[in-house]
Amino acid sequence: MSSAGKASGRKKRISGQAKGRKPLPPSKSEAENRESVRRAAINVFILFHLVAIICVALPWNLPITSSVKELVRPYMRWTGLYQTWDMFGPDPEMVNSYVKSVIITQDRHVQVWSFPRMEELGFGERYEKERYRKFLEVLPQTQYAPLWPDVARHLARSLNNQADPPDKVMLIQFQSEIHPGVDDSHEPTPRPNVFYDDYLQPGDLK
Amino acid sequence: MTLRKLREAWDHFFFTPQSPVPISLFRIFWGICVSAKILLLHSDWLNWYGVHGWVTLQTMQVVEPGIRLNLFTVMPQDDRWIAAFFWVFLGCALLLTVGLWTRVMSVAVFLCLTSIDQRNLLMLHGGDTFLRCAGFFLMFAPAGAAFSLDRVIAIRRGKQGAQIKPRAPWAQRIIQIELALLYLTSFFWKLKGHTWLNGTALYYVMHLHSIARFPLPHWIQSTAMLRAGSWFTLALEFSLGTLIWSRRFRYPLLLVGLLFHLSIEYSFNLPLFEFDVLTAYILFVDPVDLEKWWSALRQHLGRRAVPLLS
Repeated sequence: MSSAGKASGRKKRISGQAKGRKPLPPSKSEAENRESVRRAAINVFILFHLVAIICVALPWNLPITSSVKELVRPYMRWTGLYQTWDMFGPDPEMVNSYVKSVIITQDRHVQVWSFPRMEELGFGERYEKERYRKFLEVLPQTQYAPLWPDVARHLARSLNNQADPPDKVMLIQFQSEIHPGVDDSHEPTPRPNVFYDDYLQPGDLK
Repeated sequence: MTLRKLREAWDHFFFTPQSPVPISLFRIFWGICVSAKILLLHSDWLNWYGVHGWVTLQTMQVVEPGIRLNLFTVMPQDDRWIAAFFWVFLGCALLLTVGLWTRVMSVAVFLCLTSIDQRNLLMLHGGDTFLRCAGFFLMFAPAGAAFSLDRVIAIRRGKQGAQIKPRAPWAQRIIQIELALLYLTSFFWKLKGHTWLNGTALYYVMHLHSIARFPLPHWIQSTAMLRAGSWFTLALEFSLGTLIWSRRFRYPLLLVGLLFHLSIEYSFNLPLFEFDVLTAYILFVDPVDLEKWWSALRQHLGRRAVPLLS
């Protein structure tokens, strides 16, 4: 018999054995062991996540929570389980603000483009564009300065005219304070703050 | 409480088998919210997540460094791939909603959801965070055990009977804890400021033009009402974070919470936030009550349907 024939014979025998005898069910203690290991693993999983989530979410930096926060931060960041529930807290915003951009072209034409302002949009559009409100809340903050050239480039690309391409982009935030008790009709004129002002670099429009 | 009793309480809370109907209904609501989020972003997919979006992937990694579960970092940086990613994401979210290949879809949807959140962290609201955190634990829950195509297929193949088998609800419990924590820590955050305590917070909120939606009656905007509203918000958030665990207060609180969120939905433009949070309310409803209400509804519909059919 060739080696291939021997192999197939062995294969048949093995499959025949498998057909003849059913594998024995695990003994009761074996199944219990497996279940207790499984339960222990789930308990560790639950406990770890509860401790991590509570320490990360609490707004106080107590010594114990701070240590846990530091310890679990990489995991929470990786999984996306980081969380802060500071809706309108500690205090709500006390200013109305919006952002506009000014684009100066190479032929020195000036174009003003306003980021979507929720109060000027229709009901359905507000649902779609609400992300801009959140984004513009943080964009002017100096800690997010690395974002500004990206935003300027995106704007320049979107408003690019081959005949007269953009040369410079300015980002301006307008803010007016809310004063309790003051009639809405006497709302102060929004004050502008140019938080980004730069020329585009060669290749930015590609 | 002795350690033993604590352990028994823990086991009872996390492992006593219960009907998977609430978590299955949550899966449906959660899936609808995720699908709605994808569709509402549709016109801006490439503006927010494209290669040349408002913020590039590289800049986001500079501003918010660290290793993150983010499929955009392994995806070819090409807008066609990114658009295709969103269609696949939407497909998975819809399949999860109807409960086909539920477990696999819950993993796929969570991966996509956390990826889009990690890709642009600066445009997220609390609703996104809640969806993402709940989605993580949903992966471990028997979310396809009821109201799912998986179950229909299993019944047809004779693998399941008419009765839905009770399961350990530990994953559901963590999502419930997430919701309670959302309210309680939101209450704590507000205590750190002064406007919620002195009652002026709602005045500022109501005068933020960017979130105003429908006009409110003038009497609601009176100083006394706004002050009462600020304090009511604190009281409700505290109660929803703590008293919701008491069976006695649970349903009245859920009802007040529902009305609270719907009134916010009417007054303020915070798209999907209210619905994202409300999805988890179903997890606090006792499965026995759900069954009772369902039977009553069927009976009611049955009685009404007979004359129509005869």
